[in-house]
Order: sequence, then C-alpha cells, then structure tokens
Amino acid sequence: MNEPNFLPEDAFPGNDDPPRKKPSPTDEAKSARFRTRLTIVLAVLILVPSMYGFVGKFYEFVRIYRGDWEGSFAIAPMLNYLLASGGFLCLFFWATANRMFHDIEEPKHAMLDNEQRLDQQLGGKP
Amino acid sequence: MTSDVKPLLPRHDDLVNERLVAWYFLAALTFLTVSMLAGLLVALQLIRANPLDGVELLSPARWRMVHTNAIAYGFLANAFLGCLHWAIPRLTLRPVASVALSYFIFSAWQFVVVCTAAGIILGPSFQAQDWVAELASQFHISMSLGAQGVEWGETPFWIDPVAQLGLLLVAINFMTPIVRQRGPMYVSLWYFMAAFVWTFLTYGMGNFMPEYVVGGVSGGAVGGLFIHDLVGLFVTPLGWGLMYYFVPIMLKRPIWSHGLSLVGFWGLAFFYPLQGIHHFLYTPIPMFLQYGAIISTIAVELVVTTVVINFIGTIWGDGEVLKKNLPIRWFYCGMIYYFITCFQCALQVTLTFQKLIHFTDWVVGHAHLVMFGVFSMWIFGIMTYLFPRLIGRDWYSRKLCEIHFWFSAVGVFIMFLDLGLAGVFQGYYWASLAPWDVSVTGSQSFWVVRAFAGLMMFSGTLCFLVNLYLTWRGPVRELNPDIDVAPALA
Repeated sequence: MNEPNFLPEDAFPGNDDPPRKKPSPTDEAKSARFRTRLTIVLAVLILVPSMYGFVGKFYEFVRIYRGDWEGSFAIAPMLNYLLASGGFLCLFFWATANRMFHDIEEPKHAMLDNEQRLDQQLGGKP
Repeated sequence: MTSDVKPLLPRHDDLVNERLVAWYFLAALTFLTVSMLAGLLVALQLIRANPLDGVELLSPARWRMVHTNAIAYGFLANAFLGCLHWAIPRLTLRPVASVALSYFIFSAWQFVVVCTAAGIILGPSFQAQDWVAELASQFHISMSLGAQGVEWGETPFWIDPVAQLGLLLVAINFMTPIVRQRGPMYVSLWYFMAAFVWTFLTYGMGNFMPEYVVGGVSGGAVGGLFIHDLVGLFVTPLGWGLMYYFVPIMLKRPIWSHGLSLVGFWGLAFFYPLQGIHHFLYTPIPMFLQYGAIISTIAVELVVTTVVINFIGTIWGDGEVLKKNLPIRWFYCGMIYYFITCFQCALQVTLTFQKLIHFTDWVVGHAHLVMFGVFSMWIFGIMTYLFPRLIGRDWYSRKLCEIHFWFSAVGVFIMFLDLGLAGVFQGYYWASLAPWDVSVTGSQSFWVVRAFAGLMMFSGTLCFLVNLYLTWRGPVRELNPDIDVAPALA
C-alpha cells in the first residue's frame, strides 16, 4: 500500500523539472501592457464605486444624525461601517504617502525569491 | 560585486515553530470531525432517522449550533492560525512577537471553543434549575448560560470577553512582525493585517452590541452585518491571503499581477462591510440600507473577478499541473466554487429572488459551498502540502489523498445542488400557502440526498485522517544539508 515520495515528485514540481520556456522580450512587453491596462480598468470599475458607496454612507449618516426619523435606528450599523472603512481610508492614504504602491510588482518577485531561498535550506524540496 | 550578493536569510527553524503549526492543524481536524458528526446527526434528524432521539443533551437544536460554531471557531480559526504561524514569519522574515504567547493563545483558543460547545450543550439544562433562576434574580444578572441569541454568535455571553481578548492577543502576536516590515508589502500581508483588525471589530460588534447596546431592528441590522462580516472580513481575507501566498510558491512563478491583487484588496475593504443587511431584506430596516447592501453585494462580484483573473493568469499555460499537483487542485477547485458561490450571491440578494428562497434550504446549500467547498478545501490543500513537511514524512498513500479530494469536492457540490433545488421547491410550497407539513414532506427526498452527500464528505475526511495517522507512523525522511543563514530579524 505504501507509495513513497509521491508528493515531492508530483505535488511540488519545479525543483527537478526542466526550466519553462522563457517568453520572448516582445511577448513579455505585450503581456505587461495588457496586465497594466486590465488593472487600471478594474481599479476604476471597483474603487470608484466603492468610494461612492463610502461617501454615500457618510452622507446618509449625516442626514440621519440631523433628524431623519425614518432611519434613525440605522445609526448603529452605519457607524460600524464608517469606523471600519474610515480606518482603512486612512491606511490607504498612509500607504500611498509611504510609497507602498511604488514599483507595485516588485513584492511578488521578492516574496518568491525569499521562499525559494528558505526552502533551499531544506535541500530545495519541502 | 556587492549589488548582486543577496543578504543572508534567517534559518527557517528560527522563524517558524513547526510543532505549533502541527498542533493547530490537529486541533482543527479534531473540531472538524466533531462538526461533521454533528452535521450528520442533524441530517439524520431531518429524515427521521436520528439514532439519539430523546437524548436531551444531544438534541438536534443544540448540535446544530455545535456544528456551525465548531466549523467556524474550531476548524477554520485553528487551521488559519496554524497557517499564519507558517506564512507570516516567512513573509516578513521575522518570528511572531512571542512563542510563549503563541502557545498561550493556542491553549486559550481551545478553551474558548470547548467552553462554547459546553455552554451550548449544557447551558439550557443548567438554566432550567431553580438555583440558577434564584441566583439570577438575587444578583439581577443575566443567567442565559446557553447559546447567545445571535446567529453565528451563539458563543455564550460569559465566554465572549475571553474570545475578544484572545483575538486582541492574536492581532498583537502577528502584527508585530508585519509592522516591523519595511518597504512595499506583499498582498498577503495586507490581507492578514486587515483580517486581524476586522475580526476583532466584527466579533465585538456582533457579540456585544446586540446584547448590551442596541436592540430591536437596529440590533437585527447589526446582527446581519456580523453574519456577513464574519465570512467577508474574517474568513475571506485570511483565505485569499493564504492563496496569494501558497499558489505562487507551489507553482514556482509569481502571481500574475500584484497590482490587480491590491485592487481586489482595497475593493474588499470598502465594498464588503456594506453588505450584511442583505440577510434581512423585506424587514423593517430602512429600504435605503437594504438597497445599498444589494448593490454592494452585486458589485463585490467585480472584486472576486480580480482574484479569479489573477489566479487563472498565474497558472495560464501550465494547466497540466492540476492533474498531478494535489494541493494546487484543491486550491483551484475551491476557487471555482468561490466564483460560483459569489455569482449565486449576486443573484440571490435581489429582492425578486429573495421572495422565493428566503429561509429555505437554498441558503443552507450556499453556506456549505462557501464554508466547506471554498475555505475548507483551501485549508485541505495547505494541509496536504504542509503535513509531510511538518512531520518529516511523505504521505503514506496518494490514493487516500485522491479519495479525500474527490469525495469532498463531489460531495459538497451534490449537497449544494440538492439543497439549492430543495430551496426552490420549498419556496414555491410556501408561496402556494400550502400547509407547512406539505413542504416538509416534499423536502424528504432532498434531505435523504443531503444525508448521503454529507456521508460522502465525511468519508473523505476519514480517509484523510487515516492517511495522516499512517503517514505519522511511517519512516522519517532524511533532510538536509547546512547552508549559510542569518539570525532571525527581531
């Protein structure tokens, strides 16, 4: 029944696999352009409406606070949302100011590189 | 010369406490087994085949809550904590704040989960005693020893402060290495950091506000936020963060677009907290809040799309790996289920759809696909990857690993389809104003299928447990040579 070593060979390919075919510089550049465009389009599609949602909630909160009786009991859940989102809005501005999004693709390479080097301590195979 | 020389990294053993990770995983699997047994018991009750009928302490109403709480706080929370003890030190190259604190949190968390189960099972029986009522009236204090009346927040009121303190300690222990990190952070760390803050706030909001601060409709609205935020702001960021960590290292290629992953993160941060009220449509909660929740739920589908695009982009051109790499198969299967469940969510939160499926088994099917089909499957993938390393042995049997995958993946999908269909039938029964019993009788065949699907999933889990035991008994794998390392960064 014992089937030794199936995972290192099968489940964790890469260490002994032949290197993948490297894309040409033209393909690489095309791919990077596509990636950037798609990221920008989705960023606009997602972040603009979400900011609208945040501002809208804030407006509703102010309106209710000023005496719109119909929704006065909704203050508690809205306050919760505004507290959490407000904190993350501040974090977003802090991160931008601290250049956390500068060279935005670099962390993925650094992470992978560190992981591979940490695994080399165990002979390259988990 | 110096520019090409990479700084030495700390030793893995100085960063990660593997024993603790293994303990967390074992605790998680123990609670998973309890939870699945409780689920089976409830499934048998519904088809009138409960073998423990008449045993008060094992009544389905109590075990149903043990089922949900054991999966959320026993299995998922323990498994996530184990994974975080692996991922965060390796991502930050710094150990957690304190290993002693880690062990304390581990023990305290098991205490919280066991007390929750004890409160749910024994609480109602104690509460029926005269001396408890006397004490309550003498000291003018609440003596609801059993479940708290908050959905997903059934942890008894007396254990809530301990759980809240535990979450604070978890945040301190893991945030310490993260905040010491300099320069741009990898997306997983953004997700983890957010999860620590959100989980702490969400737990406090859901367990304390409806109990002590706000009541009535407002309390209901807070309860709605809590139910959904528990999934969206505790489980989702940890699950996505771990996927963004494990998938690239297993495929040995970077994530397709780090920028896109950050768009997804910030989208989740601002969209998700708006959604919870969609659990209470057609209630006295003001319509502008209900509409806001519906629209943001539909909008979050875009956020999910960023994740799906990113992971498909990462594996693009290397699909063969899904055949032979089991952990990756767990991850991608879970991701497909995630997309299905989110797509379903975008449909089912519309007022038209809610009219039909509210309170039906449709919702139960949806919840199972999310909790088991997505997050549990991701955790199974991580465990399949990490266990050989944690115990220094190769898996005993690939067949048993494969059976675990197929029984889980197929079983949960059958349950999802079956309960979805049952929900539609139930909705139409109720809309036709037929007597309640008619809908119960009509649901029987669906509930039989559900019991078999549950058995299938449980059998898969048993295979995993047997395989783990046989692996643990097997020969230790020889590991490796010394290479230059640096001390772990403080």
